[in-house]
Amino acid sequence: MLGLAAEENVLRIHIDELVFGLIAFALIFGLVYKYAVPRITKMLDERADSIEGGIERAKNAEAEAEELRQQYKEKLEEAHRSYAAELQKAGEQRAAIIAEAKEEAQVEARRIIEAAHAQIEADRQQALQQLRTEIGALSTDLATRIVGETLSDSAAQSRVIDRFLDELEQGATAQQQAEVR
Amino acid sequence: MSADTLNLAAEGGGGLFTPGGPGFEAPSVGIFFPSPWADYNLPYTGGFNKYVVLLLVATALVALFLWWTARRQSVVPGRSQGIGELTFLFVRDQISRPMMGVKGDKYMPLLLSLFLFVFAMNVMGLIPFLQLPVTSNLSYPAGLAAIVYITFIVVGIRAQGGVAKYFKGAVVPSGAPWWILPILVPIEIISNFLIRPATHAIRVFATMFAGHLLLATFAAAGWYMFNPAAGPLFGTISVLFSGASLLAFIVFTAFELVIMFLQAFVFTLLAALYIGQAQEAH
Repeated sequence: MLGLAAEENVLRIHIDELVFGLIAFALIFGLVYKYAVPRITKMLDERADSIEGGIERAKNAEAEAEELRQQYKEKLEEAHRSYAAELQKAGEQRAAIIAEAKEEAQVEARRIIEAAHAQIEADRQQALQQLRTEIGALSTDLATRIVGETLSDSAAQSRVIDRFLDELEQGATAQQQAEVR
Repeated sequence: MSADTLNLAAEGGGGLFTPGGPGFEAPSVGIFFPSPWADYNLPYTGGFNKYVVLLLVATALVALFLWWTARRQSVVPGRSQGIGELTFLFVRDQISRPMMGVKGDKYMPLLLSLFLFVFAMNVMGLIPFLQLPVTSNLSYPAGLAAIVYITFIVVGIRAQGGVAKYFKGAVVPSGAPWWILPILVPIEIISNFLIRPATHAIRVFATMFAGHLLLATFAAAGWYMFNPAAGPLFGTISVLFSGASLLAFIVFTAFELVIMFLQAFVFTLLAALYIGQAQEAH
């Protein structure tokens, strides 16, 4: 056969080939040990770190968001509370104003009524006075006419008129009492 | 087909249906003994032969692969970096961690080197026109097995705290009754320190050897049966036979690639297993 060496034991170990194999392996091992594995493991570690860092950042952001949410919630509640307080205050003020106005109105009304009473009393007194004078004049006139004589002095005149009026009043009172009954 | 396979096949090409033609000559183990281009004329040497050239090619390929995959490193990996990390993580998570746990991580450079180197040497069996797995020459796996052998013994001595302690733990099974020890101890010595490195090297060697011989046989048979000049009927039959053989060659080549990967995996797995066992207290 062409190109073939003499047949040998297939389980041969050639020293030169063994040594070449070991040298080749040493080269590869050096490259793996000094170059490939450190670079790959470094990058794998870095990646793991950055992924963990990312998770950490996400957690922080989440916590921050939660805090903000809590703050907003508190602010909202605060607003609700102050609104309710304002509302209550306004209600109280309204009630107070109404009460005050009522009070004033009552006072005013009482004042007007009292004034009216006083006026009426005054008018009555005046009318009574005037009536008494006129009745006196009329009575005197009438009595003069009836008796035919003029009462001499004004003192006696007014005595007579008073007596007459008393009698009139009594009669009127008796009559009123009778009517009531 | 390797050059030798081609030479071999060329001699017997078209032999089928040729009256008085050459008979089929299956490829012999001679294909695993390429004649050296330069011989040292020393005992126990092979000279500068095809295996050495393929060894250089395999070494260069591994170096190139390492440079290409580890050259640029970023947190978001590119394509080449991804392939490098995939390989690294495969060796770590499928070989190192199952065998040794996290404390095996310091042996990752050794294991990754073994895996890549053995795989590259195996794959040399698929390089067109050169195809011959470097591991089909026992010299190469024997060197690697020796490295693993020395490594696990050194690791064991360090881990167990002394030469005597390590060897006692390795060859005297704990819990065995004293009277059976004269039988057990020699068996343990032979199995752990003689047979183990031998089988470690021979396993990958024999698989690659047999696989390559199988491929060479299919190639040679395909060439032998290719004889379209043998008349309309016999010519057609011979071409069909030849086609079937070449199809089988292609299918088995794909199959062989799987075996090459698997043997590199197994070689590295066993290295991790031996180192891991030496690390553990017996």
